[in-house]
Amino acid sequence: MILPLADVPAPEIDYRELSPIMATVGGSIVVLMVGLLRSPFARRTLVPALTAVTLLAAIGLTIWIWEPGDREPIIVRALAMDTLTLGVSILFFVSGLVTIVLSLRSDAPREAGHGEYYSLLLGTITGMVVLAGAENLITLFVGLELLSIPLYVLCATELRRRTSLESGLKYLIIGSVGSATLLYGLALIYGAAGSTQFSGIETAIGERVGLSDPLLLTGIALAATGLAFKASVAPFHQWTPDVYQGAPTPITAFMAVATKAAAFAVFLRLFDSTLGLSQLQWAPALAALATATIVIGNVGAIAQRSLKRLLAWSGVAQAGYLLAGVVVASELGLRATAFYLAVYLLMNAAAFAVVVARERVSEHGDDLASLELLGRTQPWLAWPMTIAMLSLAGFPATAGFIGKFYLIDASVAGDYTWLGIVIVVGSVVSLVYYLRVVAVMWMGRYEVELPGLPRRRVKPVAGWSPEADARAQPEVAAVAIVFAAATIAFGLAPDPLFDAARDVGTALSNLR
Amino acid sequence: MDVVWFLVLSAFIFCIGAAGVIVRRDPLVILLCLELMLNGGNLALIAFARMHGGEAGQIFALIVMVIAACEVTIGLGMIVAMYRNRLRIDVDEMSELRG
Amino acid sequence: MTIHLSIVLFLPLAAGLVGAALGARLVRWVVLAGTVLVLAYALVILVDFDAGSAGLQYVTDDEWISELGIRYELGVDGLNLFMIVLTAVAWVPCTLVACFREHERPRLFFFNVALAETAVLGAFMAQDLALFIVFFDLMLVPFYFLIGGWGQGDRVRATTKFVIYTLAGSLLMLAGAVALGVLSTPDGGQISFSLAELEQRSVSEGTQQWIVLLFALAFFVKAPLFPLHGWVPDTYRSTPIVVLALLSGVLSKVGVYGFLRIVLPVMPEGSQHWQELFIIVAVFSILYGSVLAFSQDNVRLVVAYSSIAQLGFIVLGIFALDDKGAQGAVFQMLNHGLVVVPLFLIIGVIALRANGSESVARLGGMAFRAPVLAALFLLVTFATLAMPGSANFVGELLVLFGAFEDKLVYGLVASVGVVLAGVYMIRVFQRTMHNREGPPVESRDVGGLDLAAIAPLVAVIVALGVYPHFVVERTEAATVQKIEQARAFGGEQEARAPGGQRTSLPPPGDEP
Repeated sequence: MILPLADVPAPEIDYRELSPIMATVGGSIVVLMVGLLRSPFARRTLVPALTAVTLLAAIGLTIWIWEPGDREPIIVRALAMDTLTLGVSILFFVSGLVTIVLSLRSDAPREAGHGEYYSLLLGTITGMVVLAGAENLITLFVGLELLSIPLYVLCATELRRRTSLESGLKYLIIGSVGSATLLYGLALIYGAAGSTQFSGIETAIGERVGLSDPLLLTGIALAATGLAFKASVAPFHQWTPDVYQGAPTPITAFMAVATKAAAFAVFLRLFDSTLGLSQLQWAPALAALATATIVIGNVGAIAQRSLKRLLAWSGVAQAGYLLAGVVVASELGLRATAFYLAVYLLMNAAAFAVVVARERVSEHGDDLASLELLGRTQPWLAWPMTIAMLSLAGFPATAGFIGKFYLIDASVAGDYTWLGIVIVVGSVVSLVYYLRVVAVMWMGRYEVELPGLPRRRVKPVAGWSPEADARAQPEVAAVAIVFAAATIAFGLAPDPLFDAARDVGTALSNLR
Repeated sequence: MDVVWFLVLSAFIFCIGAAGVIVRRDPLVILLCLELMLNGGNLALIAFARMHGGEAGQIFALIVMVIAACEVTIGLGMIVAMYRNRLRIDVDEMSELRG
Repeated sequence: MTIHLSIVLFLPLAAGLVGAALGARLVRWVVLAGTVLVLAYALVILVDFDAGSAGLQYVTDDEWISELGIRYELGVDGLNLFMIVLTAVAWVPCTLVACFREHERPRLFFFNVALAETAVLGAFMAQDLALFIVFFDLMLVPFYFLIGGWGQGDRVRATTKFVIYTLAGSLLMLAGAVALGVLSTPDGGQISFSLAELEQRSVSEGTQQWIVLLFALAFFVKAPLFPLHGWVPDTYRSTPIVVLALLSGVLSKVGVYGFLRIVLPVMPEGSQHWQELFIIVAVFSILYGSVLAFSQDNVRLVVAYSSIAQLGFIVLGIFALDDKGAQGAVFQMLNHGLVVVPLFLIIGVIALRANGSESVARLGGMAFRAPVLAALFLLVTFATLAMPGSANFVGELLVLFGAFEDKLVYGLVASVGVVLAGVYMIRVFQRTMHNREGPPVESRDVGGLDLAAIAPLVAVIVALGVYPHFVVERTEAATVQKIEQARAFGGEQEARAPGGQRTSLPPPGDEP
């Protein structure tokens, strides 16, 4: 120690509020290291267990620092660990846990290496948290890329399957186009407002920059386009079905829920809060996007036979519903979006768990036919799928109904009644394909006799074998059952979710 | 020099990149074009940083460069993986998945 | 005596759950016991009901989802008293008949039957608009499974069509209801969907007009009425007969009941605005239903189209906005349910004797060896065609009186329907019971079981024909009150109504 320590003014960091991110980053490194061990036990059991422990710890830490209200951003005002960030973070962590369970018997971690696979998963989750909490343009971009890059790799982890690699590359190319567009938009916003800080931009708008400043509006449009790529909002959704179908199914489940939640967290923070003053300028455009997304997503889903593609298209449509909560730029809209994101996690986790379970044993893969007569052979899988589908379609007594009710409520209260009606019309169209899934499970090739008529009975065609049934996957079925039960429970008693959503609503203080 | 010139140039670079991504088939060229798009953004950032003064824009540009490098690395890795699986690396041939 | 409506409401569901848990053998008896208990409880309510009061009785009012202003509010008054009794009465014989038929997967079948009863009872009891919609949509779930799982012919297509039609209407109604709730909330007030509260609050006339239209869409589809009956033929053909009895006898009343419970008192100006249109729809339904009923070959479809005509009468009575008309409508809702349920059960019995055939052309000559069956059928037929001395006669007469009061021309056109009803019902009776025996027919009398199911219903029909006052005195106070509410705004409007309406929309018969 000869050199005198130079006096560097280090930024002050609130490690308490940073702790969930530190947990996931640390966990990611530890998991990667443990994955290098030779023993199969360490790789196959210890690594997923450690990942799960990391995520559980992160959930615990999140709850520990949960504090409603408008929080001061930490690390030189770069990252806001407010209830909006923490709320969606819990969704990331939970969907991460789901992915771990669904991956246990999957080929992907085996082929890519257990350590790498789970480490990348934790990495992308970290990126999501950073993205959701970004309070400045640089953090936003870093978070987005930290989210995306590991996800590109995860999509391609089934190295020996052609579609998996293809989906990874496709996602990389399209995702990067989205990022580049977003970057250009952010650059223009920075140019117009003269600050990378969200708070700086917010104060600049309306004072130094006119509301309809062309530079600002172009920037907003490009940024919205870039985010629309991530959230799979039409017309930037074309990659969604392909990538969802090609990626390993546990990763698809993760992408469907977590990526969407992260993208919407940014939408909410950037548009509703930072650019809230120019809502009159961007809201009609975003509302038009929402309408297009609902229509395209629902119509696209009708023609699908592959369950993963069907869920991808349905995810596009659901993104449109969610966008309605962003358009109104009100606290109610924020709450409704957060609520629906949570509900969306429940429904999709149940549905994807069933797809994973069937895909592994059925000769039809993820085709609709793999579900045929499931209601008779494996009701413990058929019920969760039925509940998930009915909830996605918005039937009452499921959480999906309450979520849609809330979104329509927010739309009407924000003077976008027509958008509420668009949501409803979209739901009607969506019945066609959601009900088809249900019908295949319960009514498939199943002939019931009319009372009094001689019995006609068609034997079910064997789509599975005793060996396959023996390979029942209790942990996957458990995920399906738990999340389906939660869908019903929150449909009947949604108050806990409402409380959380209300807390999230306080995060952005400058909303109407 | 007026900042507009920088902006026009950066917009050109961005558009050339975007057009390349859409038109070209070879994934390597597509990766190059992605770089162009990102660098178009970078140029705009640096120009604005000069205009406004302050270091934020330049830091942003530096970080973007790092990230762009990461993206390309991953992309190249995937292309190599596909090549090793003796797959055709022509994006139009990727017929397994079609929207 | 304290009566808890929640017990009545959830008793069937509880029976269904317990039964499903007990296994395939016991489930039918448990569910049957549940329906019998509900009937017993409903009769207790009927006896205990205070006939003189117009207000709600046995009110249950609890918080449910406070965030959205949805309350768990149940109550009984003259409007829904007999609807609840009808539901309880109809479910017992239908479940009884179902118990003695073989069904595949009886646990699921009877669980759905039980769930359906709870949903229908809930829709009739709900005094909160959102709660009403929850039950209104929930009804679809069991019927979707019942038709799709145990129906005949192209059942999956039929059930999907049925659900999409109905849910399209009811989701639009949901959007309208949310809009009504949000827009009627005074500044700083708490949003509420309680009907009593909504009656106090008001929204502008223009808003009322489009919201009423959305509600009418839902109710017209459900009823069904003329232009929105597209789901009827397929659904009626495919539905198992006991389920069809419930669908046609009870479910169709929920829609028209909604007009009296919600549309008239909450949105009086909107109702008056569309009065003319709705009456035209009703009259068209009467003519269209009667004419088509005459030309059908399938017995089920004869009843289906006659139901369209009957529901046209009911809507005509409601929108005559006249005390007598509305009373007739309420009475007719009960009567129609009471005749349709035995009618379908009899059709089921006939089909059993005709090798499953329900074609008018192939039946015949049953009365020779089945005098009891013929007698029962004759009584029900007379009731359906509103023979003087039957309760239906009283109901239709009241409706027509109500229509003559203000809308003479429509009343006259509607009376044609009464005549046509005589023609098509007599035709069906003759063709099935008399004439030569059709080729597939094996004439034998009604069995003890079917007799036990049908005879009590017929007895009730006869009793009501003898003493209709029993119903009218109990429904009068509440019905008159609702009509008064709807006309409360007509103080000055009524004065200018005749002239103003004629210039704007000349009734069709007035031209020459």
